[in-house]
This record gives sequence, structure tokens and C-alpha cells, in this order.
Amino acid sequence: MQLSKTCDGIKRRDLLKVGSLTVGGLTLPNYLQMAQAGQISSGRADRAIFIELPGGPSHLDTFDLKPNAPSEIRGSFNSIKTNVSGIEISEHLPKLAKVADKFCILRGVSHTLAAHRLGQEYVNTGSKPIPALEYPSFGAVLAKEKPSDSVIPSLVAIPRAAQGPGFLGIRYAALETNSTPSFGQSYSVRGISLPNGIGIDEVNRRQNLLQKLDRRFSELEKKNQLLDGLDQFGSQAYSMITSSQARHAFDISQEPESFAKQFGEESFGQSCMLALRLVESGVRLVSLQLGGWDTHQDNFSKLKDNNLPKLDAGLSGLLTGLEQRGLLETTAVFVTGEFGRTPKINQRTAEGGRDHYPRCMFMLMAGGGVQGGQVIGESDDTAAGPRHDAITPDDVAASFYHNLGIDPTLEFNSSTGRPITLVRDGRIIRELFA
Amino acid sequence: MCPIPLRPIAPVQLFCVIACCGLLTSLTHAEAQSKKKKPRQSTPTAVLSERFEDGSTKEIPDFQKHVIPLLGKLGCNGRSCHGSFQGRGGFQLSLFGYDFAADHAAMMDESSGRIVLEDADESLVLAKPLDGDLHEGGQRFKRGSWEHNVLKNWITAGATNNSPRPHTLKKLVVSPAEIQFENKESQVDLRAYAHWNDGSVEDVSVLCRFSSNDDAIAAITDSGQVTSTGPGDTHIVVSYDNAVVPVPVIRPYSNHIVLNPKNFAHPIDRLVSEKLNKLGIEPSNLCTDSEYIRRVSLDITGILPSSDSVSRFLSDTDPSKRERFAEQLLQSSSYAAWWATRFSDWTGNSDEQLNNALPFRNVATRLWYEWLRARLEKNVPYDDIVEGIVTAQSRNPDESYLDYCRNMTEACQPGNESQFAERKGMPLFWARRNFQSPEDRAIGFSYTFLGVRIECAQCHKHPFDQWSKDDFEQFAKLFSPIRTNQNLVASDARKERDQLVSELTGDKKVRGADLRRILYAAAKDGKTVPFGELMVNVRDLTDREKRARALAKKQGKTVKAPPIPTGRILGKPELISLNNDPRVLLMKWLREPSNPYFAKAIVNRVWSNYFGIGLVDPTDDMNLANPASNGPLLDHLANSFVENNYDLKWLHWSIVTSDTYQRSATPNVSNSLDQTNFARHIPRRLPAEVIYDAVVLATGSDQRADALRNNVSEMAIADGKPKRRNQQDFALEVFGQSLRETNCDCDRSDSPSLLQSIYLRNDVEMHQRLTDSRGWVSQVCKELQIPSPRVIGTPQVAANKQRAESIRKLILKQVARYKQASEAQQRKFRPQLERELKRASERLATLGFQTPNLDQLLKEKNPWPTATTAIPESRKAMKYDDLVNEAYLRTLSRFPDPEEAKISMDYIAESENPGDGVASLLWALVNTKEFIISH
Repeated sequence: MQLSKTCDGIKRRDLLKVGSLTVGGLTLPNYLQMAQAGQISSGRADRAIFIELPGGPSHLDTFDLKPNAPSEIRGSFNSIKTNVSGIEISEHLPKLAKVADKFCILRGVSHTLAAHRLGQEYVNTGSKPIPALEYPSFGAVLAKEKPSDSVIPSLVAIPRAAQGPGFLGIRYAALETNSTPSFGQSYSVRGISLPNGIGIDEVNRRQNLLQKLDRRFSELEKKNQLLDGLDQFGSQAYSMITSSQARHAFDISQEPESFAKQFGEESFGQSCMLALRLVESGVRLVSLQLGGWDTHQDNFSKLKDNNLPKLDAGLSGLLTGLEQRGLLETTAVFVTGEFGRTPKINQRTAEGGRDHYPRCMFMLMAGGGVQGGQVIGESDDTAAGPRHDAITPDDVAASFYHNLGIDPTLEFNSSTGRPITLVRDGRIIRELFA
Repeated sequence: MCPIPLRPIAPVQLFCVIACCGLLTSLTHAEAQSKKKKPRQSTPTAVLSERFEDGSTKEIPDFQKHVIPLLGKLGCNGRSCHGSFQGRGGFQLSLFGYDFAADHAAMMDESSGRIVLEDADESLVLAKPLDGDLHEGGQRFKRGSWEHNVLKNWITAGATNNSPRPHTLKKLVVSPAEIQFENKESQVDLRAYAHWNDGSVEDVSVLCRFSSNDDAIAAITDSGQVTSTGPGDTHIVVSYDNAVVPVPVIRPYSNHIVLNPKNFAHPIDRLVSEKLNKLGIEPSNLCTDSEYIRRVSLDITGILPSSDSVSRFLSDTDPSKRERFAEQLLQSSSYAAWWATRFSDWTGNSDEQLNNALPFRNVATRLWYEWLRARLEKNVPYDDIVEGIVTAQSRNPDESYLDYCRNMTEACQPGNESQFAERKGMPLFWARRNFQSPEDRAIGFSYTFLGVRIECAQCHKHPFDQWSKDDFEQFAKLFSPIRTNQNLVASDARKERDQLVSELTGDKKVRGADLRRILYAAAKDGKTVPFGELMVNVRDLTDREKRARALAKKQGKTVKAPPIPTGRILGKPELISLNNDPRVLLMKWLREPSNPYFAKAIVNRVWSNYFGIGLVDPTDDMNLANPASNGPLLDHLANSFVENNYDLKWLHWSIVTSDTYQRSATPNVSNSLDQTNFARHIPRRLPAEVIYDAVVLATGSDQRADALRNNVSEMAIADGKPKRRNQQDFALEVFGQSLRETNCDCDRSDSPSLLQSIYLRNDVEMHQRLTDSRGWVSQVCKELQIPSPRVIGTPQVAANKQRAESIRKLILKQVARYKQASEAQQRKFRPQLERELKRASERLATLGFQTPNLDQLLKEKNPWPTATTAIPESRKAMKYDDLVNEAYLRTLSRFPDPEEAKISMDYIAESENPGDGVASLLWALVNTKEFIISH
């Protein structure tokens, strides 16, 4: 463990709290052996919240500041102390600084895909995108391996899923809300609530009529997967539309105002609260997005005035809320953009901006078996690359699956019969679960 | 158990055999047997396991023929072991073998100790697989076993890779070539004979990899023993070296053969019945007329037939009405519209990938679509359409650069797509962002025109086909000279382009995105803007170089190969010099009668459209290990298609007029389990665009539906809806419309989902369509003079109710005041109150609410507790049977049976508001399974 005293303000006595990734990590083939031998704690989470920060958030201005770097790299933000001694983050994340003991910062995460879409696919799946095959989202895998009951969907995306079910097939696609909730207002999802003008009695009456009329293929149904599937989806749809359970889970106005206020009044914060309600009611994975990180220009004012306050309120509210409800132990949280941003500030505008930079980025993890209040991995003096061994998106994905009790070496067959390992090249980051 | 000898039926034909390793042919059982009995004297025919059973043999095994296949057989070069891309334990072999030089080098790595020539037993290659503790992969063979002896002899003799170039395998003959089982658990042993180019023949059965395409029909052991596990047909796939040989296995469902193929006039029916006879399957009966009109309309045009055309068709007594109707459909504009959408799928017409291809935004995909549509409408031969894409040039012949820019600027203006359609070539195919690297092009080209997934061979030997990594690389090279870029123009046009640019930018130096913005703006104003050109970057030797080489040759000097890049067409031995546009040769190859893929790929895709499953399935995965379910049929269709000059309409016509296409979906005892032999119609979910339009047509008023049918360009089947990522129409996205980005026919999804069911049952769009004032329900309500259905899903409903409530309260207030008044005052006020009440009741009626009469209001204590919706008094007298018939015809293309009619009519009659009842009926019908599947 070699940490520089000067680069990011970490003092010697804090070394115990701040680990860097040990050489090698854990190779996947060893996974089962190690798990059996009790050398890695098994995952404790059975549900998850995945927060995407599309655009690529600047690591240098958020969770990996370099106060001692030259000014053309450092930027104008200062770092502040958190409630974990030795860990410092951006001054514009004061609320998260107060709950730093609940999450783990991964620094020096590194890959090579500098295009938004490719980077997104990579961090969303833990496998480098290849043309022949689309890897499934985390949620689709969870929906397949640990489905929820029929009234509650397994997978919800607020408002849309950046990553589809890939080779697992459409049946594992997310229920997309297509909209985001607003503070203090009731909320629902397209199609699951009965619209104005039709009552439950009438829906039941219609359903009854449908059942009487839809019998042309009743003899074939048992033998035909398609007809059988259609029938199942039909009755699932009916129970979702008519049961109050799903509607109730989506209706954030059920939360007391004092609870809702913890999340801030922005729609991202309210989406975080919705995600909490959904995992509480049995949804396996909720994915959320907070965009606007593609700060090629005016990096600092955009972050300070817009993105950071939203992230700060929403994410701190989420972690606090999960803990208050006793859900943090069973809910794996994963926050990531598709890449970091260039250390050197460009001068395209007076204020300056930062460009795409996959060689060095940060990610956050919390919940389940994840030990909060630590930093894993480290970037070099100018946050231009990992100081030691890089953490890869593959490693983080393998760890996320592990946290959820899913073996990252699980094998699937694609629709073409090609065998595929869930995470090809990942190593479980053991320090996460220390 | 010996296999049942086959009757002399059509020999099994391999549809996709390429001369990469000579023509792979299967011998019949008898031939193979005779080979086994009379081996050539000069070659060892005994199987390797026998020859090496005794460790004292002095035979030296061959690296390619024996060592690598043995390692493959032992599982060493598998994906989960040393074949992994990172190797295993520091030792990496090429996945599925066939990279002999690399594998040999990996084994000989001096520091590794894998091969120790001085002491063979010390070699890890021997020590590890012998010792389960030492080797993570466990014990692979025993000491003194033939496997051990083979490897040991090879190492002792120097562990050489005998030849720098691979031996050429002429053919792999598997015996028996076809298996027909009669009973469960019958067994057959497969033998495989390698015929090498040098004339030697060897029994390689113990070195082959065997796999079954369907374990539920035939199981196979590592040693090649096939066991019948169930009735049906499948293939056992045998792999050795670069050969992949499928062996058909059949076990009939029943023993009585009922069909005489000669009784079938249609060639498709004849060939299908031959296969069904082998399986003991009887086909289902023909479908009804109403099933036919619905099926053929949706399949040929993607459009639900109108209720009028269904009624007309059902009452038509002409025995040839089905053929006539199909003919009409093929002549309709909707045929070209729908199939241009399908061709857009296969050719990858993606807006997302064409971003920046033109100086106009969101235009490229419409041009592409229209270019295809115009040709399909004129029934241009398929090979000519493909030629226009494959060999596309940006400029028409004799078009100057400026004319080209002028013409394209005009063609890109909204509504001018047909001008682009008149152009000779369609270069946009080459301009897609995901079609730029030679490798991406090799993959995309193979996908689109060959129906072949070559991508496996990009990294390793194709496990299901003969393609090696080298085949892929050589093929990819052919695409390297093609360049497309918005800023790229021919050298003779550079000046003119710069001139055009500076006219638009005012001499300011602008580049990149800023320049694009200026061009977009100028183009929008109708100014001529510069277009990029597709360039073929090839170079020939200069005359001087040619002279120098000729001279050197004359002087007897050795002349090196010219410094011009080369490439190779898949499966062809000749090198192609890239000194000319290689696309011309590619097109020539596509057209060659011997091309094993080109005609079959399109025939198979069209077939799949009509049956939901290809003769080869998946339709874009033709490979040796995935043979056609009915090879003779695919051959016949492909050959006839070429003989008919690639006539697409002929192909459609041939298919839809066969009995095979017209089978009912009702199974019989013998065919209910079969999915792949076309003995009955197998229901499938309709494509996304077809469902979308079907819903719009079924719920829209007659006027609106007619308007759409007469001008299909606004319909989803005519590519009338956007398809960009995150901007797709919600319903089309939910139903799996293709984004056309992945080189896979599976980009389009036809599987059902929960979201689809929620959408059809309860989406606001659905409720609005059912109650829309331009909808069919409102139309019939007007005709029957009954109140329209309550509008669902808009704030209007709540607002109406609110308004009705306030009117009610106002009237009640006046009534209360009236009641309290003296008799004299009451007399005076009475007419005024009556007038007020009349006005209120008229107003309420338009809102769909009823009003009590004045007597009721005065007499009862709590006469009007809430505003209630109106019930017309005449409703019981009204006849709904026509209406129910019409509802069935416009959704399910048939009349209701008496029971269905009664259920429907009762439902409407029992509804508080009959308009709501009609809306509910239509809702129920579009939510039946019958509505969204083919049947």
C-alpha cells in the first residue's frame, strides 16, 4: 500500500480506512472455491438501485479532488471533510459528506471507451460491448434469476432504461415509467393506473367480457408457448392494473412531507424516493438517471449550480432513507457515469470545460454487504490514471452481482446457442465486503 | 442396432457447402461401408485409438491431423480452458483449434516446460492431464492410454509441426450419412473418414467432436454413439479439422404414411409432403376463407383487411378467388410499402447510424426507404436491387459534381424522396457509422446479403462453419478501399466543393460540427450544399513500375509480389488484387449460380415472413451445423427464384398459392408436436408495425381507415414512424420494432411482453382511440343515434362531470326556492322554472347526463342526489347485430359465431350507456389473442 501524502490530502493515520486495490484482486475462476471456503462473504442484498450519471461526471470535481495539483487541473472547487476522517470530497456535496460512512468510493476506475454509448454499455453490463451480442442490463439478469411476484414488476426504469435485456430476451425488459415524479405530487406510470372516466367495476366487467370472447384458441393454449405467454401477460396486466399494490408503490405522495423533503425537491431526488418505495414493495432493481454531466463547456458553473446539488440531495436522501427503513442492508446501490473527464481543463470558453476521459473515473457503491466509509483504489497525482492496478468496469460489475448473491461467472446461452459468461473478465473487489 | 436402411429418397444435400476444404459431400451408408472394407493399401485406415493402443508403436502422429484434434477432443482448447482468450494457467490455445502455428508456438515455449524434448515424461503437456491434483482441469487421460501414447510419441519424435502450411482436408465422410430410427433407444455408431488432399484416408472417429442440434430427438456421446430420444427430426453435427458435417436423424411420429407426393401439383407441397412422409406426419386441413384473407393480407401487405373486403371475399363464389386476391395484394402499393420496411431491416436502414451521412438531418433513412420502395413497386429483380446497393456510386453516370450536389439538395427536400429513388445507386448503405471498419463491413455484408454470421471467425475458428480466422481477415480486406465521409469528394471535385463551402461560410475557416451546422441551415433554405462522395481508394501500379517489373522478369530476376493489397472472397482460393473497385467482383460472386448463399438468404427470409420460421432458422444464421429443415425445398425455391430472374413477386406468389401456406392452425394427432416441417399453421405474434396499424384501423372510423388504406405512407408499416433511439413511438418500441443496428434479424422482436398487454388493455392511447370522436365507436353511435361513449383518459371526463354537478346544484337551488314560495308565487314562477329545467336538460344531454322531470323533482324528498349519465329509452328496441358483425369483421376478419354474437349483444344491452358497451366490445376484441397473432 503506497499512498502519497501530498496528492489528495490523505494523512498517514487514515490509512486503515483507505484501502487501495490489492494486487491481483480475485480472479473469477477462483470465485466458487473462495466462496465455499468462506473467504469472501456472500452477498447480502436481494434488491438493487442503479443510478446512472449519463454524460460522464468529472471525477476531479466530485469524489476524486486533487487540491495540490496545478490550477489548470485542480479547478476551482475545494475539498471538504466528510464524517469519515481521511475521506474528502467536493465542497458542493455537503450532504453526502455527512453520510460518507454509508457508501464506498471507488477511485482510479479505468477503461478505454471514450464514446458515450459504448462507455454506457460497458458500465451497464460489466462487459466490453461487442458487435455480435448485446449484454443484458444488471436488472434483466436479476429479473431472470430472482423474479418478483406477478403484481409487482421485477425491473423498473425511471424514466427509461439505458440498457436493455440484451440476449436474455424482451421478457426481461424493464417497466419504463417514461416520466419522473415531482415533489409533492401524486405519481403513476403509463398504463398501470386506470385513467379518468373508468371505474374498477367497469374494468372487471370488460375483463369478464374479454374472457368470454377470447376462447378461439383455448384448445391450443396448453401446447403453444406463445398463446400461453400471451395469456399469462394478459392476466398479469389485469392484476397490475386492478390491484392497488403496484399503483400504491408508485404513488410517492403517500410519503410524509418530512420524509420526502430529505430527498430535495428536484425530480431526481423524488425519483430516488420512488426507487426506495419500489424496492421496498418488492421490485428487484430500479434504475435511475441523472443526466447533464457532459460538461465540455462551463464545467464548474454547471456542476455547482445544477448537477451537484441534485445529486447531493437525492443520493444522500436515498442512503439515509434506506437506512431509516431498514433497507440499506438488503439493497445494493451502485452509482456510475460512463467515464471521467480530462484532468486538464480546456479553454474553449472563458470558464473552461473538461472532455471525455475513460482512463480515470470514480464509481460509488453502497448497501448490502458493502462496507461504507472507505475509499478503494487510487488515482495518480493528476487523476490522469490509476496509481496502481486499475479497477475495471468488469470488476465493479462482478462485485455488484456478488453483492446480490449472483455468481458473476454464471453462464447463459444466447438466442443463437452461444454460451456466454455473465461477466467475462471481472474480479470481485474483496475490500468492498471487508 | 443397425439403422433402418433408407429408401432411395433424395440424397441429403448440404445447402451451404463451400470449397474451402473441397466440396464436402456425404456418402451414402453403403458407399462408406465399402470404403471401410476396402481401404487403400498405402494408408492406415485403422482408427488412431487402435494404432496407439500398444505403447510400443513407432508411428509418429501428425500435429494437425492428430495432436490438435486430440487436444480438442480432450477439451483442452475449449472456451473454459486453454481456448479462453486469456488462456488458462498461462497457457493459451486457439479456440476450437485451427491456428496451428500459434498453438505449436504456445506449446513449444521454452521457458514453460510444456514440452521437454529431452525427457518426454517431464513435459507438462503429458504430466498435467495425467494428474488430477496437479491439473486444474482434472485428469484427462490415463497413463498408457492411447491418448497418452499419441502425445508421448509425438513429443519423443521432436514435437514438430510437420508442415508450415496446413494440410488440406478434401472431405470428411460420415457414415451413416443419414439415420432413420424407428424405436426409442435405438442406437447407431457414427464413423468419420478424413479424405486428405494427398489421397490418404483415415478413420478419425475418435478425434471428431460430436454434438446434437436437439437432445430431445437424438442424443450423442463423445465417442459418436447416437441414441434416439424422441420422435421428430434433427441433426448430429460432426466436426474435425475445418470440416463440419451435419447428419440428419429422423424418427417418425407414426408408421402410416398417408401422402402421395404425386398428388400435389404445387412443387412446394410436393417437397413438403416428401419430408412429412419420412416423419409420418399428416398435414392439417386447409384454412377457412376468413382465415386466408386475414393471413394473406397481413403477410403480404402488413395491413388488416377492411370489413368490406372481408365480406366481399367471403361471399365470392369463384373457386380461384384466393389466387385472385393474392394477386391484387401483390399489385397494391401496400405490398411495396411493407416489404421496403422489411428490406430496410435487413439492409440496416438506421437513422441513428446515418447521423451526419448527409448535410440534411433525419432525411437519409427516408431516402433509403423510398429507394427500396420504388424498386419493389416496379418489381425490379432482386439482384439488380442489390447491385444498386453493393456497387453504389454517389454520382449518376455522367453527372458532374455540381449537378450531383444540386440534384441531391433537391432530393433531400421534404417530399422529394422519389427523386432520390430515381438515382442509380444507394450509397447510404456504405455511409452508416457502424459500417466503416473493414471488419464491421465484412460482418454486415455477410449478414445482409448472405444470411451468414461470420463474426465468430473474427476471433477464432468458426465453431459451426468452415471459416477460419484467416478467411475472415482476407474477406474483410476487400472492404478496406471503400471510403465515405461527408467531406470526402473525388479529386476532380475538390475545387468545386471548396468553392461551394466558401460561398456558404463567407470565406471564414469553419470545420467539423460548426461547418455542419452552417450546411444544415443553408440546405434548409434550399441553397445548394456540398455532398460527400463514396470513394474507392485503390491504387494500381504506375506504368513505370509495370515497365520496370516487366524488364526485371525478362532479365530473369525474381520479381516480388506487387505492393498492392489483396483480399479473398469467402470460400474462394484466388487472391483479389485491390487495384479496382472490389465491389464489382463481390457483386459478380453474389450472382454466380454456384453462390451458396445469395439467393437462399432472401428466399429463406421471405419464407420466414410467411411461416414465422425459416427453412434455415434463425434466418440470418446459415451455417454447416444449422442445415435447412427441408433442404430440397430450399434448393428448389432458390434455384427457381434465380431461373425466374430473381423475381420477388413470383416468389411471394409461389408461396401463398401453395397448400402448405394455407394450412389451418388446428393440429391433428400426428402433427401437433412438429414445429419445423410446415404441416400446420403455427400462430405467431404480428410484427410491431402491423399491430400498431391494425389497432389504428380497427378503432378508427370508416372514413379515417379508408383514408389510411388509400394512402399508406402515413402508416407504421410504411416506415412512417420515427425509429431513433429514445425517440421511438412508445407502442412500436414496446412491440419490438427493429432499430436496425445490430446485424441480426433478431433486432426486431416478435415476442410478447407484459408491457404490451398493459398497453393494449389500459394505455391512455388505447382508451382515446376507442372513444375518439373520429373513432369507429363514435361513428356508429351517431348512426344509431345513441350517446357516444364516455371519453376515457382525458380531463374532459372529470370536467363534464363537474359541469353537470354544478348545473344539478343550480336547478336544485331553484327547486328548493320554488317549494318554499307561496302558491301565488309558484304559479308565477312555474313557467320560468320549466324553461330553466328544459335548458339545463339540453345542456346535460350534450354532456351525456340525464335530467329528472319537474314532477319528480317536486315530489321526492331527495330527488336528484347526483348527476347520472343518460340512458336512452329506445335502447332495448335497437338492433345491434349488424354492429357486432361489423366489430368482428374489422378486428378479427370474420363473423362472430352465434354464441359470441349473443354475448356481445347482451353486453351492450346491459351497459348503462350502450356507447360504452360498444367501446368495451371493441376493447375486448383488440385484446383477444386472436387479434394480435396470425392464424
